[in-house]
Amino acid sequence: MRTGRRAGAVMLALTMTAALAACGRGEEDAGGDSGGDASTPASQAPEVDTGAASGEVTVWAMGAEGENLGVLADAFMEENPDITVEVTPVPFDAAHDRIVSAIAGGEGPDVTQIGTTWMGEFAALGGLDPTPSNIDPSGFFEGAWDTTVVDGTSYGVPWYVETRLLYYKTDLAEAGGVTEPPATWDDLTALAAAMQEAGAEYGINLQPGGTGAWQTYMPFFWQAGGEIMDDSGAFTLDGEACVAALTYYDSFFEEELTATAGGDVPLEGQFANGDVGSFISGPWMIGIVTDAGAEPDTWTVAHQPTEEAGTSFVGGSNLGVLSDSDNKEAAWAFIEYLSQPEVQVTWYETVSDLPSIQSAWEDEALAGDELLAAFGDQLSDAKAPPAIATWEEVAAEIDAVIEQVTVGDASPEDGCATMQEAADAIGTGS
Amino acid sequence: MDADRPASMAGRSPLRETLVAWSFALPFLLLFVVFMAGPIAAALVTSFTDLRVTDIRNPFSVNFVALENYLDVLGDERFQKAAANTTVFVVVGVPLTMALGLAAAVGLNQGVVRFRTIFRVGFYLPVVTSIVAIAVVWRLLLGAEVGLVNGILAGFGVDGPGWLSDERYALWSIIAMAAWRNLGFLMVIFLAGLQTIPGDLYEAAEVDGANRWQRFRGITLPLMRPTLLFGAVITGIGYVQFLEEVYVMTEGGPLNSTLSLALYAYDQFSFGNYGYTAAIAFILFVAIALLTIVQFRLFRTET
Repeated sequence: MRTGRRAGAVMLALTMTAALAACGRGEEDAGGDSGGDASTPASQAPEVDTGAASGEVTVWAMGAEGENLGVLADAFMEENPDITVEVTPVPFDAAHDRIVSAIAGGEGPDVTQIGTTWMGEFAALGGLDPTPSNIDPSGFFEGAWDTTVVDGTSYGVPWYVETRLLYYKTDLAEAGGVTEPPATWDDLTALAAAMQEAGAEYGINLQPGGTGAWQTYMPFFWQAGGEIMDDSGAFTLDGEACVAALTYYDSFFEEELTATAGGDVPLEGQFANGDVGSFISGPWMIGIVTDAGAEPDTWTVAHQPTEEAGTSFVGGSNLGVLSDSDNKEAAWAFIEYLSQPEVQVTWYETVSDLPSIQSAWEDEALAGDELLAAFGDQLSDAKAPPAIATWEEVAAEIDAVIEQVTVGDASPEDGCATMQEAADAIGTGS
Repeated sequence: MDADRPASMAGRSPLRETLVAWSFALPFLLLFVVFMAGPIAAALVTSFTDLRVTDIRNPFSVNFVALENYLDVLGDERFQKAAANTTVFVVVGVPLTMALGLAAAVGLNQGVVRFRTIFRVGFYLPVVTSIVAIAVVWRLLLGAEVGLVNGILAGFGVDGPGWLSDERYALWSIIAMAAWRNLGFLMVIFLAGLQTIPGDLYEAAEVDGANRWQRFRGITLPLMRPTLLFGAVITGIGYVQFLEEVYVMTEGGPLNSTLSLALYAYDQFSFGNYGYTAAIAFILFVAIALLTIVQFRLFRTET
């Protein structure tokens, strides 16, 4: 028994030494600039011959997309009888971890839907195939295309997009004496105050921190002239723009124009019955607000207010091909198909996902709808966070700071410094 | 040892016997090494490296960073906040749950005769209900505006606070929920313990003029010591790792007032900081070991 234990210990020690001896990063992955450098076009891989593609393509898609993508896959297979497309729906909550496992194990689908903020991480993992030059970037919204670019190389194609607009009750606004959509920050504050005066419990609903609050904060930061990273790939979260944006964001909480705690009554209901005068959110809220009983002529959506800029946040999903895919030709052929304007319009009609291809917006299905047209308009002035591997973690820090400033008693100046410090400590993961 | 050995075994060689013993132990040993010891050793090694999600295609090409992860974890404000929250949760929650469990057990053992089974089932039901379902329902109960609790309070003219959205109340609300959920398990354990106490001890004490409280303190508590220790250790281990409650109900907010160590580790894991997460896990492991040692000391039978 004694010898047995000793042998075991020696074995363990040996394995550990072996593992440690093999450790150590190579030199080649040190440094390098990350972040979207918009001035130089992203590099793409050589053209892939998608015309002669055949065989089977497996596709992972999430949520409503996963459930309905079969419609497009069937149409694609009719046009390309040599290719079989197999769609696997993946729950959104589990998608990130499953794709990471797929990349790690080399056993995954050929094509997968990828949340725009995951691109940096998956590309850094070496799991994504660079976009071939068959795909023309100029057709897409610039902000959306930028989400595919990691370290100057594009690793996917924007599939559908969403951006954030101001939803507000026109009936309340008019009762408060406001007839025009807010053009500036002061206008937005005045609008919220006027609607509160006219009977709303809160003039606006802004997220007091918590997961995803950065998506509401970041547009204000961009509007104040801020940038998340500079050209060298260093974080520039602190600064005048941050203090201005956080102070402005906090002012709604200070003046009690918005609730300091997330309520347990759904926002759409409060908006429909006029308890909340306005909020900032994406296109999916059109349907939700309508279902909640808001009369169509009592509310509308408006472009983000403009200070130095009128920028909003662009999100959505991209499509990427995994680098371990053994049928990349057919995989890119399917993505090429999904990127055609007509197909994007069909997709909009199927699941209401907004097209990432600009020309698809000329179709009557989208251009004829006033509310949607407003989203299309905002999309040409919308930005995404840099595609870095650590973005989700940096975003969580920003969420925490927003809460400390709005609910807690941190000053915007301290908050900005904390954001910067936390982001620098996290780094870009490259 | 030889003297105790049954006669029928005497003829067998010790080696053969050892082999037979090992062959019985082997299935467990294999599973343990492959699925427990192996991963634990790997996690320990990981905790000394800067392994991140972006390294998983080449997990050996990471740097050995000695104790840096541990120092970073201990120095992180959010970790300290999570450690403080977890301490409060354990220090308040474990005694509270045990007291409630013991009260329910003693009550069912002596006072309540009718409907005893119904009470037993009622107290035990939350234990077998999914914690996620419970957390979702409690989140609705404790809602600030349309929650049932504040609805009842409003009936008495009291304007209830945001039980989960106010940082002063959030952790306490979750402790109350955890105590309610777990008291049923302890009640069953304690009931079993109470039944091992001979009834004549109580009779003798009663003859000597001891009142109810004196009998409880002088007989029940001392004889329940081993059972109480078991309850404290099991509940303590569970409570140090509380996660689902806050994951579903508050996500650690508001202002990290309900952030637990396990949730902190979970967050770091989902950010892909594997080396860092492994360090948190081992710190948590040491904390559980220390807590258990303290409990063994506290409930040690006096000799």
